[in-house]
Amino acid sequence: MTRGDFIARLRVGLGGLAPTQIEELVADYETHFAEGLAAGRSEAEVAAALGDPDRLARVLRAEAGLRRWEAERNPSAAANAVWAVLGLGAIDVLVLLPILLWIGGTLLGLFIAAAALVIVGAVLMVAGPVVVYGAPVAALVLAGLGVMALGTSLGALCTIISIGCTNALVWYGRFHMRLLKPALEV
Amino acid sequence: MAEAVQVQLKKGVLELCVLALLSRGDAYGYEIASRLAQGIEMGEGTVYPLMRRMQADGLVATYLVESTAGPSRKYYRLTDAGRASFESQKTEWAAFSAAVNDILEGAR
Repeated sequence: MTRGDFIARLRVGLGGLAPTQIEELVADYETHFAEGLAAGRSEAEVAAALGDPDRLARVLRAEAGLRRWEAERNPSAAANAVWAVLGLGAIDVLVLLPILLWIGGTLLGLFIAAAALVIVGAVLMVAGPVVVYGAPVAALVLAGLGVMALGTSLGALCTIISIGCTNALVWYGRFHMRLLKPALEV
Repeated sequence: MAEAVQVQLKKGVLELCVLALLSRGDAYGYEIASRLAQGIEMGEGTVYPLMRRMQADGLVATYLVESTAGPSRKYYRLTDAGRASFESQKTEWAAFSAAVNDILEGAR
């Protein structure tokens, strides 16, 4: 493989990362080639010693995804981290996939239920006294608040479970795949 | 399971080796990669993600040095945290490998 082939495949594999990040990562390998050639090795020798660019790109992308999840705990970083671990394409991921889909689907359903509860509660509280004649206003408002509180707690619970699941998957990724930070830290 | 443990071992040792190399003096990426590739069986390319992770963890810091021939070199040096991590990991490794060696010797 020539230097150009290696860098091109690395770039393709890194697709999806921020352009500045891609440039930084690629620069490391460009420098490595330059140093290797200066030391008298051929492009093919340097490329062979570096290893498979597709696999390197997957590890680099997974590491970047996991670091982002550790830094910013938001849904998009979580999706990114889950995707990155799946992208490593180990065989056990195929076993995990149905379970992941099931958990993801259930959580999504619960999130929608939580949102619906909050809306129903709000409607009950605001429109209830107008629509239901003769009903005690205080009771309707309290009932509305109660339903909204239920919806909010359900949503919070789902968030905690989602974060837990993502962390578990990241740990699994660190343990089984060739990611660089050991999962077992002393 | 055995393969997962081996992966864990290699990952742990790789970091310890980089810490040891840098404890003897600052080095640039190519230097670290070729030294490690000679010693442990590993792709030279793995060094770069490892260095990025160690930098993110605050174990190493970088600085650029202009080279007379070729591109400017990114040198890595140990931070105080890196030095402390090296000392503690080295002690752990010595105790662990001594215990394993004792058992291996005894088995003969």
